[in-house]
Amino acid sequence: MKNTLPETVILASLLVGSTGLALAHHSFAAFDMASQRDISGTVKKFDWTNPHTWVWIDVPNDHGSVDTWGFEGMSPNYLARRGWTRGTLKPGDKLTVTFRPMKNGENGGMWVSGKRPNGGVLLMGGAITDP
Amino acid sequence: MAETRTLRSFAHRTRRFVIGYQLCLSSIRTAGISSVWPGAQQDCREGEFEMRCTRPTVVAFLAASLPLARFAAAQKVTRKAPTAQDWAAIAKLPDFNGVWEMVFGGGAARSGGRSARVAGPPLTPAYAAKAQAERAQPAREAETANCLPPGLPAIMGQPYPMEFLLTPGQVTIVIEAYTQVRHIYTDGRPLPEDPDPTFYGTSVGVWEGDTLRVVEHFRLTDPDTMTIETTVIDPEALAMPYSMGTRTLKRHRNWTIAEYVCEENNRNFVDAQGKAGIHLANPEASPK
Repeated sequence: MKNTLPETVILASLLVGSTGLALAHHSFAAFDMASQRDISGTVKKFDWTNPHTWVWIDVPNDHGSVDTWGFEGMSPNYLARRGWTRGTLKPGDKLTVTFRPMKNGENGGMWVSGKRPNGGVLLMGGAITDP
Repeated sequence: MAETRTLRSFAHRTRRFVIGYQLCLSSIRTAGISSVWPGAQQDCREGEFEMRCTRPTVVAFLAASLPLARFAAAQKVTRKAPTAQDWAAIAKLPDFNGVWEMVFGGGAARSGGRSARVAGPPLTPAYAAKAQAERAQPAREAETANCLPPGLPAIMGQPYPMEFLLTPGQVTIVIEAYTQVRHIYTDGRPLPEDPDPTFYGTSVGVWEGDTLRVVEHFRLTDPDTMTIETTVIDPEALAMPYSMGTRTLKRHRNWTIAEYVCEENNRNFVDAQGKAGIHLANPEASPK
């Protein structure tokens, strides 16, 4: 059951967050680290890939269609040790993403956290789920 | 200690770290990633401290216990087949084998506290002048965004685990980040006299009691805790040996090293001007 992700464990990892970890691969130069936004939509695609996971969300726009937003997250090797699987996010999942927006105004940013309609919170940093 | 532990660097580029380091010391805040080494520069953008290896790093290490640096023109070393005694000797060494990950918040604690970090390594006059000149240049992003590995020492401070393997005459570190490998030769070989520029240089180490001494000192402080203390000695650039501090790692006995193929789906990039960006278009192009 991939949906039985230990989200409470992931929630407990709040103190670290994902920001300090992205340094492994690149700086935060592309993101506006001084601001934080929330956006709600439907998961279109979840790239369980290195060097980063990407969460793609379809967000309704003013024209009656959707815009696709992309959010960069930690890598699967890191996340797999902290409760995530490639099935943690599935196409069709409703999600509110908290993120650091792109400085250039493009539709995307750096993942900070995600929240499901049932209140489950998805973080990417910190807690280690092994004994 | 200083005279018996020597780091020898081989090209002017190896000194760039000193220049960059002076630039960035005041903005270090990610202790776990605070790595510096000859050949690398740091990027102060966003107040972060980041390794940057604009060109391959050239470093060579000399083991601590050797009275003087030994260098050999020929780099070929023929190894004898290990004997049963050689393998038995491995069992007497500290048990480094296994998968280790840096403890979050356990990175690079320096004696002297924050003030010591701000002061930075004391530079020779020539390199202090270079540091001054470098400050006038615009910051460049790390090539790691293009999937080049960061080289030493940043590769030792990544938020991913490393696997240590002990065999006769060698300690091998399999580094998950960027799928890299570091070889530390403990067979008494000399350092190369005229090495090619590489990301990791040549590491030659010796076991002294419970400590593996390279430029770093690796040792266990309890059965599943390792500390790595790093001191850089570079008489040409540094006025005195510079301690990079001590990292703490924990062993995870139920972990294995995972894949990290950076080119799999890299949407980050650094352009020719050193500016960072992200390709957000066409999400369908990503691997499934």
